Amino acid sequence: MGGFEFPKSIDDLPVTNPKWVGRPVKRVEDPQLITGRAEFIDNVELPGMLHCAILHSPHPHARIKSIDMSRAAAMPGVVTTLTGEDAERWTRKSYTTPEGWGTYVLATDKVRFVGEPVAAVAATSRYIAEDALELIDVEYELLDPIVDAFAAAQPDSPKVFDEHENNIMYQRKFTWGEVDEAFAQAGHTYTEKFRWHRVGANPLETFGVISEWDLVEDTLTCRGSFQTPSYMAMGRAATFRLPSNKVRFIGQPHGGSFGGKGGGRGTDITAMLSRKAGGRPVKWIEDRIEYLTAGGSQAWDRHYEVSIAVKNDGTVTALRVKLLDDLGATAEGFGATGAVKPMASFTGCYAIPAAEYDLTLVATNKLPASPYRGMGPPPHNFVLEQMMDIAARDLGIDPAEIRRRNFIPPDQFPYIIPSGNEYDSGEYEAALDKVLEMSGYEELRNEQEEARAQGRLIGVGVVSTIEPGVFDWNAYTVIGTRGIGIPEGVNVSIDTMGKITARVGFALEGQGQYTVVTQLLADYFCVELEDVRVVMADNLSAPPNFGPGGSRLGVAITGAVLGAAQRLTEKLVKVAAKLFEVQPEDVELLDGELRVKSVPESKISVRNVVGIMLNRSDMLPPDVDPSPEATFAWTAPGRVEPDEQGRVKSYLTAANACHLVMVEVDPDTGMVEILKYYIADDCGTRLNPANVDGMIQGALAQGVGAALLEEYVYDENAQPLTASFMDYLLPTIHEVPMPEKASLVTPSPFTPLGAKGAGESAIHTTPAAIMCAINDALLPLKVRATEVPASPNRVWKLIQDAQQQ
Amino acid sequence: MISQRDIRLTVNGVSYEGSAEPRMTLVDFLRHELGLVGTHVGCEHGVCGACTILMDGKAVRSCIMLAAQADGADLMTVEGLAKDAELHPIQQAFMEERGLQCGFCTPGFMMSIHELLQTTTDPSDEEIRDALGGAICRCTGYESILKSVRNAAAKLRAST
Repeated sequence: MGGFEFPKSIDDLPVTNPKWVGRPVKRVEDPQLITGRAEFIDNVELPGMLHCAILHSPHPHARIKSIDMSRAAAMPGVVTTLTGEDAERWTRKSYTTPEGWGTYVLATDKVRFVGEPVAAVAATSRYIAEDALELIDVEYELLDPIVDAFAAAQPDSPKVFDEHENNIMYQRKFTWGEVDEAFAQAGHTYTEKFRWHRVGANPLETFGVISEWDLVEDTLTCRGSFQTPSYMAMGRAATFRLPSNKVRFIGQPHGGSFGGKGGGRGTDITAMLSRKAGGRPVKWIEDRIEYLTAGGSQAWDRHYEVSIAVKNDGTVTALRVKLLDDLGATAEGFGATGAVKPMASFTGCYAIPAAEYDLTLVATNKLPASPYRGMGPPPHNFVLEQMMDIAARDLGIDPAEIRRRNFIPPDQFPYIIPSGNEYDSGEYEAALDKVLEMSGYEELRNEQEEARAQGRLIGVGVVSTIEPGVFDWNAYTVIGTRGIGIPEGVNVSIDTMGKITARVGFALEGQGQYTVVTQLLADYFCVELEDVRVVMADNLSAPPNFGPGGSRLGVAITGAVLGAAQRLTEKLVKVAAKLFEVQPEDVELLDGELRVKSVPESKISVRNVVGIMLNRSDMLPPDVDPSPEATFAWTAPGRVEPDEQGRVKSYLTAANACHLVMVEVDPDTGMVEILKYYIADDCGTRLNPANVDGMIQGALAQGVGAALLEEYVYDENAQPLTASFMDYLLPTIHEVPMPEKASLVTPSPFTPLGAKGAGESAIHTTPAAIMCAINDALLPLKVRATEVPASPNRVWKLIQDAQQQ
Repeated sequence: MISQRDIRLTVNGVSYEGSAEPRMTLVDFLRHELGLVGTHVGCEHGVCGACTILMDGKAVRSCIMLAAQADGADLMTVEGLAKDAELHPIQQAFMEERGLQCGFCTPGFMMSIHELLQTTTDPSDEEIRDALGGAICRCTGYESILKSVRNAAAKLRAST
């Protein structure tokens, strides 16, 4: 990029003994968090601030005949109110992928899901605002709800959008390689259907925002728990038809996101309320019921039919996946991207030469689907890995062995998979061997045999997966996203005291990326961590940026920091060269000093060079301005447009993990207990191993939730039944195993320092591994769990079915 | 208007007098009337534990209590842990063991842990799990929280 040479490894940094990068240093984020001082959005109070409450539709599908706001508006304490009429006047319908499946942020013609915003009020307190909702009179004409995805996909189904021909948001079959031929020639073919129910992010902090519309200057300022503030700002400028430099977004530290923070509707509603309230700031803090039923909470509502073609020796020659994904009422939430992302790792760790993806996205009267950590492959990995086990069982091959036989060998990287993405590097067999060794695999199988002999249902699952890292928009071109490359920028400056400040465009969210930036700069300029400070810049002050998402930020911000540091160093070198009366190419940065390469005693500290730049214009070279700062925006190299079959090098890195889990199923209750868990994880260079470990363990917990506990349930009338944490079950400390973990390091040849995307982590692997283990446990009963989550009720029913046969 | 109710209570050793509607929750009173915003609201229905504080030494969920119920009580919140610049051993342990990522649930966890370690100076893992079973962390997967409690317990034992 721009002729830049990024250091390939930590050893290539301009420091003899790196002290920080690659080590589990304490996080710079933590002091403000453990003392309760971090400025989460609901901690912010602005003068004259009002509070918003939103009236949500109680019906999944109904025409709005009338809305009467008069009683609510007249209530003391209510300052202004808002309905779909305002949204229609001031905004555009939501941007969607695929295009054309959006609505206004407040319902206009009809409501399309329970929880859809219908009206809103701004009042002097949240309590009063909530009271006022009771006084809003809405007359609905009920319509038949569309809840079943298969029925919704039929041509004669009632329609979610009257202006569309049917409910099919997207339908396309991708064929990569000679799939039919492979199936025709295969010794064995296996087909199975699977169901993955809706799960989702559930960060402990819901979404929140304060919007302020300055009526005189016609500017909009929003503070909030935005995962991607700059991106949200651009969206709001488009929605409100405002000049983009009149929209300012300030990201507050926020309590997790995992892709599912949501917030578009709440932001737009508060912005319009502020506009109607004479510019007073309006705060909205989503409550948990709102999050669960109407927020960015739900992802992956999938019906699969999967086939594989396998040779006698267990070699898989083709994979067919047919997916019907229920995206809910609109395509506003980027839920569709989750169905497309599996193309970045479609055939997993395996050298399967041909594949087919028959993809249908359908609209129903459920909450619009959102992204969630992993962004789509976790269910795909679940179905692929079940098929591997099904083939292994039938062919009498051990599940670990069939995977070994199909792994992409280390000498074939970089490796292009049939769906077009390129894997950078990997040692899949080494990770498998590590897990088998840690677990004492043979002994586990012996234990299992003994337990089975006693009538206990014990199972082992062993699964290897890919975590595509460093997402790119080109992965989603096929469903209508635009652009190639995602710049992530940072500005680095050194002041006259030698202290370093980095300005980034993303807020604290939990991953520890401010710490990574600090580590990198401290080593690059050979200073202490305390000498570096990272600050959040709003969208108008920050370099181009996106923020966290798609296991991308760690790699991207590393590139940005190293690029900016290098640019800044080039300036320092010129100043030092003039001082020493040598050419710039004779000066280098090493251990925090600018040195003349051939004359070791001719050296000057970075701090002193900066001091000269800022305070001694007489000593500056003519081509250097007195600005010891530099900006660099990094984007993944080599990204292009997809071909006619959607094939494209999209995600830059391919991290690998192998999980082995042993479970016991209680035949009387259907409860699944995790007995043992082992992980070998390879995400290349670990910039901060403690950060990576935290990602693995946290994503493991979410994977346990997805496999065993979490499920958004809608009844046959499309009413959500999971509107609280008593119904939507998040894993607690009692359910999450504490595995034995090992790390392997296969550096990426494509990224600065060799790091791979690692933020999504174990959620790619855990659900697949647990489901494999459950099915291994159920093997003697000759039943198969094909529905996720494998809740006690579902597993119990399977066992009952088996006993009745 | 609904009539206000006078409330007197002690938080972190400081006496406060305020007034609140009878329906105001304790957490809203702490956060928005007293400005003690370190206690967070995660679910508003008593499941997630983010709003956990100590009331007369016992861990309670301040989102499902009314401010009026705390009249006369002695409360402790996350703001009461550190003494000026000196972090409490529980806070130090959380930093050392990476017991947090986003940090939103952390104040609630720390208050539950504070309650546990008051009475159980050397808790077993099972006792730690029992004490924390009613709190949800969506980031860490709990392993580092478990380690934080062990670490904090050791620090507190060493200091007494």
